[in-house]
Amino acid sequence: MNRRPTPGASGRTWWKTALGVFFTAVMLFPVYWMFNVSLTRTSDLRADPPHWFPWAPTTEGYQAVLAQQLPALGTSLLVGLGCVVLTVVIAAPAGYAVAQLRLPGRGTLNFLLLVAQMIPAVVMAMGFYAVYVRLGLLNSVGGLIVADSTIAVPFGVLLYTAFMAGIPRELLQAARVDGANAWRTFVSVVLPLSRNSTLTVALFAFLWAWSDFIFASTLDRNGDLVPITLGIYQYIGNNTTQWNAIMATAVVASVPAAVLLVVAQRFVTAGVTAGAVKD
Amino acid sequence: MVLALPAPRRRPSTRGSARGWTAAGFAAPLLVYLVLFYAYPLWRNVDLSVHDYTIRAFVQGNAEFVGLEKYAEIFASDTFTTALTNTAIFTLASILFQYAIGLALAVFFRSGFRLSTLLRAMFLVPWLLPLIVSASTWAWMLSSENGIVNSFLGAFGVPQINWLTSPDTALLAVTIANIWLGIPFNLVILHSGLQSIPGDVYEAASLDGAGPWRQFWSITFPLLRPVSAITLLLGLIYTLKVVDVIWVMTTGGPGDTSTTLAIWSYREAFGTGQPDFSPAAAVGNVLIVIALVFGFLHLQIQRRQEDS
Amino acid sequence: MHHPKRGITRPLTAGLATIAVVGGLAACSTADDAGADEAGGTYTWWDPYPQHEDGSDWANRVQACGEEAGVTIERTAYDTTALTNQALLAAQEGTSPDVILLDNPAVSTLADTGMLTTTGELGLDTSAIDENLLAAGVVDGETYGIPIGANTLSLYYNAEVLDDAGVEADSITDWDSLTAALGKVTDAGHKGITFAGIGTEEGSFQFLPWFWGAGADLRDLDSPEAVEALELWKGWLDDGYAPDSVINNSQNTVWEEFLTGDFAFAENGTWQVNSAAEAGFETGLVQLPARDGGVAPAPTGGEFIIAPVQEDTARYDVTRQIVECMTTPEGLVETANTFAYYIPPTAEGQDALLEENPDLEPWVEAVRNAKGRTSDDLGTDYPKISEALWTAVQNALSGVDTPADALSKAQADAEAATS
Repeated sequence: MNRRPTPGASGRTWWKTALGVFFTAVMLFPVYWMFNVSLTRTSDLRADPPHWFPWAPTTEGYQAVLAQQLPALGTSLLVGLGCVVLTVVIAAPAGYAVAQLRLPGRGTLNFLLLVAQMIPAVVMAMGFYAVYVRLGLLNSVGGLIVADSTIAVPFGVLLYTAFMAGIPRELLQAARVDGANAWRTFVSVVLPLSRNSTLTVALFAFLWAWSDFIFASTLDRNGDLVPITLGIYQYIGNNTTQWNAIMATAVVASVPAAVLLVVAQRFVTAGVTAGAVKD
Repeated sequence: MVLALPAPRRRPSTRGSARGWTAAGFAAPLLVYLVLFYAYPLWRNVDLSVHDYTIRAFVQGNAEFVGLEKYAEIFASDTFTTALTNTAIFTLASILFQYAIGLALAVFFRSGFRLSTLLRAMFLVPWLLPLIVSASTWAWMLSSENGIVNSFLGAFGVPQINWLTSPDTALLAVTIANIWLGIPFNLVILHSGLQSIPGDVYEAASLDGAGPWRQFWSITFPLLRPVSAITLLLGLIYTLKVVDVIWVMTTGGPGDTSTTLAIWSYREAFGTGQPDFSPAAAVGNVLIVIALVFGFLHLQIQRRQEDS
Repeated sequence: MHHPKRGITRPLTAGLATIAVVGGLAACSTADDAGADEAGGTYTWWDPYPQHEDGSDWANRVQACGEEAGVTIERTAYDTTALTNQALLAAQEGTSPDVILLDNPAVSTLADTGMLTTTGELGLDTSAIDENLLAAGVVDGETYGIPIGANTLSLYYNAEVLDDAGVEADSITDWDSLTAALGKVTDAGHKGITFAGIGTEEGSFQFLPWFWGAGADLRDLDSPEAVEALELWKGWLDDGYAPDSVINNSQNTVWEEFLTGDFAFAENGTWQVNSAAEAGFETGLVQLPARDGGVAPAPTGGEFIIAPVQEDTARYDVTRQIVECMTTPEGLVETANTFAYYIPPTAEGQDALLEENPDLEPWVEAVRNAKGRTSDDLGTDYPKISEALWTAVQNALSGVDTPADALSKAQADAEAATS
């Protein structure tokens, strides 16, 4: 996918590199600013002009995060992981059923999954609220995991289907000749082959659950265990002057995104482009 | 994030029914899931919109059936026109600029240069950050009295702009932030669309003496049209749904000046401490209809591309 | 669809089971608590103070009142909005707690559902309670609870800024003198006043003293008096006496702004008394002025103690004892101190508090002049009217509409919502 510059070309393209660095810097300026503010002393926050660089960095923002937001980080982690498990457990076998087992009505199912992704989360949130309020599931981690998973499950099924449709039938037939039933074939052949798809699905399921604000702010706003996105929001609501603490929380909340970008960038790109573009 | 896939290839059916049951077994969790966690909440949402749910009725479950009265109310409301206009402006401006900037960057990165892969990866950051993180960062950057943006503009003699609190600029401010958020997505998709244009087409054009500008308009843009259509439609469907960014930055205010349909729905249901679920659900259902119209358009384009 | 028999569904059903158990536990615990025996049994108590954990002064005080009545109190704390929902839900399921402490504007919402006992049914004497404070709990002539304390708004000032600008705090007696003072202060290079105009209940809460102080009525949002009040705020913004941030300011933000020392005045509540004393500059207090002089009625904040209807009416006797324990003069003073300066709702309690802390005199006066938001028989209509009002404030301050237009829209909305 990526064209690597040939050694001879670099001399002629240095201006492009410079321009690229400039564009990237402009694009990432808000991210830098978040980082900068997170290290600014409260007394300097309202300085005019603002400090472009945290010359006298302070960790007071981060201390506030450690003191107040650790449970929220834990909740977000729990919700994210729960969402990953739920999504993979539901999506992987369904993808197998559609791609390899010729599920009757799979065309309709595919269509429904596409439609499902177009439904605004705010509408789902109201529906879930109406259901949860009577079941007593408001403000529960389990309820939030289920709600968050609705973002990822249709995506997961479609991604698995796309990949599993490409598994050579010979492989699966060979397994069957060895006496494996559909379940054994799924577990011992299909799943291992689909490892990259699983990683992509898991990664997005986690990231979306971690980033979710709408479901958290509607279904879990009064819980003992609120996720980190709500932690940031409550900061904003309660105390708009402690922007260093807000931005420090924001930086901490961005860590998973950063890790994923470094560790799993090709899965991210794969997830973004999967299916949206056809070669 | 919407994903579009080719329908699975049809194969001649053998021993259809036994296989069918096995397939159903594997798909069962998904089917149960869809019924419980999609169909049922959506049904509840329709149910909310045709009853008069006060907070008391909500908990006690004895709301009065009012038919389409709530829909009539929202259509007659002043906010409806404002929200619809704002939704249109916010959505169109967002996707146009996201697309134009994303495409320009994709073309820029296409040629490949030292560090281009790394820089392109860095461009993904805004897309990966939790929306609330980006939105609160923008809110602080655009703050009237302490924001870096006003400070920067002030250096050029621009007087203080009340980005988030003035009715003239609030919608502009949230649109700028949303454009920023959408550029990575456009860049990634358009960039991989560019990869599928064979390099020799350009070489041939180059030999014919076509400059970069001509090459773009006569090769890149036409060949990229299918990908562009899908990118724009996905962007549109996504932008229609946006709540987090606007809510955190302006809560749809001041007044209704940055209220979109999604924000209106959110505010009625959850934003005031005095939940009005019935009109909120009605607005939400209108939003679903709009999203589905463009969704079907998307599927249509997709299908046509597959056929060709 | 054929039901799956394969192991593949196990994780899903297990997941569902977990959720059901979580939900079930929550439901069961309330049911068990409420169903406990009477004499010497467990009484349930809900309040909106999650910040006061088990073992805190407040929790101990609740327990002490239970012990005095010979029972154990099981206390659960919810967030304010969650508390209203939980209470409605519990009433629906017949598992109401014995006692709830509830934010005063929500009392009429619960009373409206018929889930609360009247003070008469419970045998409580409310004659000592200040009428203006009790009013928030009165629906159609029946009283549904007792305020355990009240807080309200007043005008804090920064004495150093006023000195520097040559403004006498005593000179502020009506709107004109306040606006004149703001002019002097800004001329001297300081900032004028900050308040909370945010588009939430807090915005209405902060606007009401000016609204009522002009003589306006919540049933008539677009009266000339109401327009004058909004024009006053808008005028301060236009003249640069108040910062643009007031449009989005919450009461907390107002206080943070005041603590920077730049502002001459800040509209804020009883709960900031301690913080004001610890500010890096000398602070003082003037009563919020009415338009033509005198003290403007500010809205009351604070909780009511209410007793939901129980199937077993024999429980009421102990419930009454618990409520009485909380509302004795000493009890009220103790509550006042636990909650960073609640003002007791009885004359006797107020006197006792002043004896301990004479500095609170202005606040006692403010509370005596204050007014419940749901009073004037607004009851459950208040939240809808309030939403229309804060929207009008937002529209006018940001310049979307003129104050008059914003308020006439608000009146139309409020009428539509309450009809």
